[in-house]
Amino acid sequence: MYEWYPWGGEFRVGDPSSSVAVVTLGDKVQLPEEKVAIWGPLKTENLGIEKVVANVVSNPNIRTLVVCGREVRGHRSGDSLLAFHRYGVDANGRIIEARGAVPYIENLPEEAVERFRDQVEIMDLIGEVDPAVIETVIDERLVLGLPSFGEPLIVVKIERERSAAVFEGAIALHSEIMLHDDLRIVGVASGSDAEASSGGDA
Amino acid sequence: MLNFSKEQTRFEIAGLKIGGQPGELPRVLFGTVFYRKQFSDVDASAIKRVQELVSAQEEMTGITGVPAVVDIFIDDEDDLATRIDTVADMVSGPISVDIPDPDLKVKVLEHLDAGGLLERTIYNSINLGLTPEELDALLEHTPASAIVLAFNPKDMSTDGKIDILETGAGFTEKGLMEIASDCGIKAQLLDTAATPFEHMAAEPIRSIPVMKNRWGLPTGCAIHNTVESWLWMKDNRKEYKEQYTINDIGSLGLPAIMGADYLVYGPIDNAPRAFPFIAMVDKFLAEGASDYFGISQDDDHPRGLMP
Repeated sequence: MYEWYPWGGEFRVGDPSSSVAVVTLGDKVQLPEEKVAIWGPLKTENLGIEKVVANVVSNPNIRTLVVCGREVRGHRSGDSLLAFHRYGVDANGRIIEARGAVPYIENLPEEAVERFRDQVEIMDLIGEVDPAVIETVIDERLVLGLPSFGEPLIVVKIERERSAAVFEGAIALHSEIMLHDDLRIVGVASGSDAEASSGGDA
Repeated sequence: MLNFSKEQTRFEIAGLKIGGQPGELPRVLFGTVFYRKQFSDVDASAIKRVQELVSAQEEMTGITGVPAVVDIFIDDEDDLATRIDTVADMVSGPISVDIPDPDLKVKVLEHLDAGGLLERTIYNSINLGLTPEELDALLEHTPASAIVLAFNPKDMSTDGKIDILETGAGFTEKGLMEIASDCGIKAQLLDTAATPFEHMAAEPIRSIPVMKNRWGLPTGCAIHNTVESWLWMKDNRKEYKEQYTINDIGSLGLPAIMGADYLVYGPIDNAPRAFPFIAMVDKFLAEGASDYFGISQDDDHPRGLMP
């Protein structure tokens, strides 16, 4: 695991002191390691964006996020990322104004959402796959010499309470069902059949 | 191997039989066309390639007895009619329409209705991204069947998946199953929503028997997506090409052994590998159901076709 970027993902790491990160959406683009802190694709408009946000705010040196490459059709992860940065999420976790299929952010604390929106400026190059064009924009951002945003923010995923099912003398699969030792499935809490009728020659 | 005390519903969709107790019917395999970048331009050569792939899948059904559905990926308004009609003209059974973009869903439903294809349609999928426009379109142009996707980004556990199907989990006013019923969709196929590793990746597998036990409806998933998003495998895919294929196809056995009625196996190119593998799993399931629970199979089950 890198010192930065605790959520992992499909990305490459360049110079962590660089102020530029790049999202390449549905494409793989080769970029100069010495100029870019981190870059990689973004396929999904929910879990993928959560990873981008958590990883970006872990490195306060990143002040610009270039979004390039071809849009992932249907998912519209690029459009959703731009909408997330511009408008944030509603009370239900839905990215406001996003046109993706399922644009929901559910595993990030509000602090991370706001931090991301404040920390980085987004350069919209959606559709662009030419490394030379992308590098030109990277260079333009680097010469600004933007300062670090401050301390890293290491985002901890929102954890939800779990309760394990415990069955005496049966095979546990879920709190709602148990398996008899002959692998007949019998409903427990759902109120479906309380006891299995014997099937076939069992 | 498993058997449910809950009665298991069997549907017949345009001649396709799906559902029931494990080992009763063979699993149904959905192979997707028009998905990869090779199909970004739907020209004559792409159509020819799709026709070859659909024929190859049909041929595998003939050899193995494992039923097939062609899942048509649609992400472009300009050629949606070509994609649908190409497949609908080739196969006699149901077609699945896989449309991630909410705006396109309405146009696809209109086209299916105009072409008299709704009775053959498996709509993939009704999910929490449902828009008012999509709901209106489903009411007006109601498909015979729909996959109802149990993806709940708030809670990816089995309980969270049940919640989105049953109540909407706060995302929709009603549960997704009730919405599908209100639209008049007769054959609901539940999808336990595969997720990447470290995002409760085992829950879609656990959910198969839990949902079948709860509702008795045909249940399945696209577990190959978990393999496809596996980071280590992605990084080493070129070096371990054969191993990737083994993992991709082998993953289908996990939900199958837990009672899945259907499996979306990814690009249809994999038909020659997926069908014999699932036929073997079906033979195990059939013998397990027969030897212990007294369940018998039809003659065209892989058990009979592939002695």
